[in-house]
Amino acid sequence: MSAQNAAAGGGDRAGSEPADDVLVEEEQSNSLPSLMTPSITSGMSSSMDMPRKRKGSTDNQDSKLAMISDADMEDDQNRSDGEDQHVKIKCFREPHSQIEKRRRDKMNNLIDKLSAMIPTCNPMSRKLDKLTVLRMAVQHLKSLKGSASSFSEASSKPSFLPEEELKHLVLKAADGFLFVVGCDRGKIVFVSESVTKILNYSRAELIGQSLFDYIHPKDMGKVKEQLSASELHPRERLIDAKTGLQVQADLPIGASRLCSGARRSFFCRMKYNKIPVKIEEKETQANTSKKKESQKYCTVHCTGYMRSWPTSQMGAEGEGEGDKQDSSYFSCLVAVGRVHSHSAPQVNGEVRVKPTEFVTRYAMDGKFTFVDQRATTILGYLPQELLGTSCYEYFHQDDLLHLADRHRKVLRSREKIETNCYKFKTKYGSFVTLQSQWFSFVNPWNKEVEYIVSTNTVISYDNSRTARSGHKSEQSGNSKASEDCKKSLPVIPGISSTSGTMIYAGSIGTQIANELLDFNKLNSSPSSGNVSPFSLTQEKSPQTLNQITNSVPNGETSDMEIPGKSSSDGEPQGASFPGGDSLMGENSQLDLDSVVGPSLNSFSTDEAAMAVIMSLLETDTNLGEAVDFEEMHWSL
Amino acid sequence: MQEERGDTHWSQAISSVLQGNLCWHHRHAASRGTPQDAMTADKEKRRAISREAARRRRRVESDVFGDLSRLLPLQPSVRAHLDKPSVIRLTLSYIRLQTLLKETAGSHEELGHGARYRHGGEAQDGCLFELGKETEGLDPLDENSMYLKILEGFLMVLSTLGDMIFLSDNVSKYMGLSQTELMGHNIFEYTHPCDHEEIRHNLRLTAELGCSQKRDFVVRIKSALTHRGRVGNLKSTTWKVLHCQGRVKLCAASSSVSCVLLTCRPLPLSHTLLSTHTFTSQHSMDMRFTYCDQRVTSLLGYRPEELLGRSIYDLCHTLDTSCLNKNHLNLCLKSQSVSGRYRMLVRSGGYVWVESHSAVIPGVQPSRSRPRPNPSQPLCILCVTYILSGVEEPSLQLSLDQTFQRYLR
Repeated sequence: MSAQNAAAGGGDRAGSEPADDVLVEEEQSNSLPSLMTPSITSGMSSSMDMPRKRKGSTDNQDSKLAMISDADMEDDQNRSDGEDQHVKIKCFREPHSQIEKRRRDKMNNLIDKLSAMIPTCNPMSRKLDKLTVLRMAVQHLKSLKGSASSFSEASSKPSFLPEEELKHLVLKAADGFLFVVGCDRGKIVFVSESVTKILNYSRAELIGQSLFDYIHPKDMGKVKEQLSASELHPRERLIDAKTGLQVQADLPIGASRLCSGARRSFFCRMKYNKIPVKIEEKETQANTSKKKESQKYCTVHCTGYMRSWPTSQMGAEGEGEGDKQDSSYFSCLVAVGRVHSHSAPQVNGEVRVKPTEFVTRYAMDGKFTFVDQRATTILGYLPQELLGTSCYEYFHQDDLLHLADRHRKVLRSREKIETNCYKFKTKYGSFVTLQSQWFSFVNPWNKEVEYIVSTNTVISYDNSRTARSGHKSEQSGNSKASEDCKKSLPVIPGISSTSGTMIYAGSIGTQIANELLDFNKLNSSPSSGNVSPFSLTQEKSPQTLNQITNSVPNGETSDMEIPGKSSSDGEPQGASFPGGDSLMGENSQLDLDSVVGPSLNSFSTDEAAMAVIMSLLETDTNLGEAVDFEEMHWSL
Repeated sequence: MQEERGDTHWSQAISSVLQGNLCWHHRHAASRGTPQDAMTADKEKRRAISREAARRRRRVESDVFGDLSRLLPLQPSVRAHLDKPSVIRLTLSYIRLQTLLKETAGSHEELGHGARYRHGGEAQDGCLFELGKETEGLDPLDENSMYLKILEGFLMVLSTLGDMIFLSDNVSKYMGLSQTELMGHNIFEYTHPCDHEEIRHNLRLTAELGCSQKRDFVVRIKSALTHRGRVGNLKSTTWKVLHCQGRVKLCAASSSVSCVLLTCRPLPLSHTLLSTHTFTSQHSMDMRFTYCDQRVTSLLGYRPEELLGRSIYDLCHTLDTSCLNKNHLNLCLKSQSVSGRYRMLVRSGGYVWVESHSAVIPGVQPSRSRPRPNPSQPLCILCVTYILSGVEEPSLQLSLDQTFQRYLR
């Protein structure tokens, strides 16, 4: 092999090493290894071990990289590589030709890409040989350099991107503008041209003005505080990343270097012109009332540094700072403001809202815990009138069966559940026909249902108070009765001591939530205890549920509330609760493995982990019985 | 043509391997001169000719590679160590970048910004230039490099297939690998396998035509830096969590230059001055409060004690559940997250817009002797929540927490 080639080979190795060896996992030394490690090992072992093995036999690893990177790799090539792997494990000397082949494939691939990028290569239908492509590339680069005058061979620090262009791309990527503001009075010393596109103010308009003229009045204090470099009124203002505790900032006053205490990151609302400024117009438009109307505020995230330097060096620039005799430093904030994306979080939003829609949130038992204000115009109730009451109190009795069924479904499903059209009683006694989409929001960490989110769409308004007599179930009589009871009796969860005999619609939801918990506990036999989960004559008190939900989903409350309870009735139930804490620990531990799984998709499939937890819970068998705990209440 | 190239390589390989042996044979053949040897000699001669041709071809090729690398804007020290694939890789990046710049320049001309940017802006630029000049003695800092310094991150330009068309040269500060080592490679080689789908998703949408689209995601990227900040052993890389924000740049004319412009930066949780409009909180991994600082009372009305044990999901506006959910997933998977805007319910009614920056940290303060967290140590989530707006709809009671009953309990 020629010396040149050998040198190239050496270079090749050096070049590829960072890429390949980087793949090898290691003992993590940063602060969060325990969280990440499982995924790294599991995620990488399949693909990443291979280059390692090959390394034993060869020095050329680029080939593997080429394979990984090459998105349009043909399948058969992949397969042959797989076979190759097997061969290699058996015999280490054999695959030199394979390695060479891979190297060539990579090179050919690169050449193909290159020829696709060079305009002079494109018109030729036939494939060009390597040397021609390379020569054309040389020609193309020469022509490019001829046009790009900014780059010159003579420049001391050659770079791929002229500084000017880099700045441009950065601002484009950031969707932001650079500004420099004097700390003492908030004078805008500099602002980049890109502000014109973002705030619709011309640069000339802004420079020399006070920044505070462009800040939302309510945010003035916030910005002033950020500009005050020297005095930090509240002591603990920085966070130590290791401990999460707040520590005192030690800000070197007048430091000319970019130091950590000088870092700033804050949000403020800034004025912007709705009408883009035309360059010619900007002077004439300066102080018209029309301008005021067109102004709105947008949230700007400012990140930057405090900088300061002795005024003695300021020279001519110091004219505005002359009155600042006491301080020999001129300090300013150099920051990039980027407009906060308004719609970004909702990109794949779960909840979308139209004017005839409103959103509600139910606890597991169907009690309202959140009501969107639009409900008021549709239903007549103020949110606070609905909050804390059960949705079943407002459903028409004809729909109760159906809705209860959906309710049951949504608690067991990760999918969105559509209800049929149903009638919801408004404040004025009439019914409005709604259709809802329900989904149970599951905590990503412990997979517990936090609440049910319901997006309700108005189908039609219906003024007749009479119920349809078409298909009345036998239960409807019961529920009607229950509703009547409901009307006279305000439902206050956890207080109605007579609930054992009193039946009301709200208990339907309670019952369903109860079922789910029973189901979760007795994993194998869902709702075995109650043959008809929907039987209203059941003598169950809602408190039972309260007790369960309080103790199971959050270990914290169970700790506090269980002792009193178990002492009061001395049931074996209590025995399972001390385990609650360790159980939570187990839970998170188990989840961690699945959570940091290969992808988001696998996130929800941790039935095995769930099963373990549920089996731990199985010892608890007496939960079906009503227990009398007055203090218990919903944690929501 | 591929085969042809392949053959050449094959013969090269054979000839170089056999070279020593053959020479020895050759000499022997010449000295003995038997008919058999004559035949081998003939074969030898032919091989020698082809070997010579191959050598010439390689030399020509190397020269072209040399020309090519000299045309790239590289430092001589870097250039000397480039192998052939790297030369092509960087050439590709250079060409792509130039095409991209041409496109941007074109669009600028259309908008009438380009000319102004270059000429009209000059007078105003003077302001900062002067500042820069003054400070040069203290801190060599020119305006252009300032942008990335201020953002505390690097710029990355990705093709729709994930090729890193461009990286600003300060990437080495974050990844421990140099610009020339990385440029032209594919992002998927350097990111956590579990994040690939998300990256692909963020790249994929670029194919759809629409006006400029924003991008905002968190990604784990390989870093050869040790935690002390030195460039460590290349074999021991860690995952660095970067917050990538930016936008899609679509080029209708040549789709091959459609790309994603991103600023990538670590989450600067630790060394930012907290404003009074910010509160910090700690949560268990299921987002229940385990600690909250006093400022929350003045900002949201809740007392820190009453928040303990409560889920953050109870406090948020239902319409923003998905935003928080994504944030939570990011935290569980990647250990850091930026929530984006969401609404938090205020105790007395209404809501405020907030944004949380969060990270997973070991829950207990680690001892000095053991900086490595124990795996059994409980993890907790640290949140810094910035208040973005005033209280909106303060008279509205939206959640059970806000109702009067709740107060009584």
